[in-house]
Amino acid sequence: MAAVPEEARGLPPPPLLNKMSAWLGGAGWMAALLANGFSQRPLLTAGVHRQVLLTTVGWFAGYFLAKRTQYVHAKKDREMFEYVRHHPEDFKTAV
Amino acid sequence: MAAPPGRQGAAGSALTARPCDKMAAALRAAAGLRLAGPGHGLVFTRSAFVARKNNYEHPNWFGVGLAFSTSAALWALLFKQHNEDVMEYERRKEASKHKCTGCS
Repeated sequence: MAAVPEEARGLPPPPLLNKMSAWLGGAGWMAALLANGFSQRPLLTAGVHRQVLLTTVGWFAGYFLAKRTQYVHAKKDREMFEYVRHHPEDFKTAV
Repeated sequence: MAAPPGRQGAAGSALTARPCDKMAAALRAAAGLRLAGPGHGLVFTRSAFVARKNNYEHPNWFGVGLAFSTSAALWALLFKQHNEDVMEYERRKEASKHKCTGCS
């Protein structure tokens, strides 16, 4: 996945607490709990370092994914509105 | 009828050897050729690692420290990146106020 392009920095950045981060962080945490389950360790209290690391990695990846998603959607919107602006005859609304 | 113990080749004793003696001799030959595995089996591949049971009495403190420090570093990096993003966005917003807004 390519890095977020430079012009995306003109968009408001997603908050640190955002849905994508929360989801991927939760997925990382579940992966750690699953590893505990498979290794027959206590589910929540074992391998806390592993749980913290995987949650962090997920949260980190979610932030950059949210930024990229926002950029892709904004770019599509910009292209769409440019098209509408250049072709007003196709978008006449009923008066 | 019993073949003498410690006997090597099974080929020359077909008339007097019992089946278990033949197997014992084959295993000895296989062991010499590193073909004998645990139990009775013949092993033709070697494992690249030996599986050990985890010993939870001695935690891997280096691994724990590495995991926590990596997590701390990632969070620090994330906060830094977010603050930079916010500052850059504010800066660009201020800069665009001084430009014409005729086009999109």
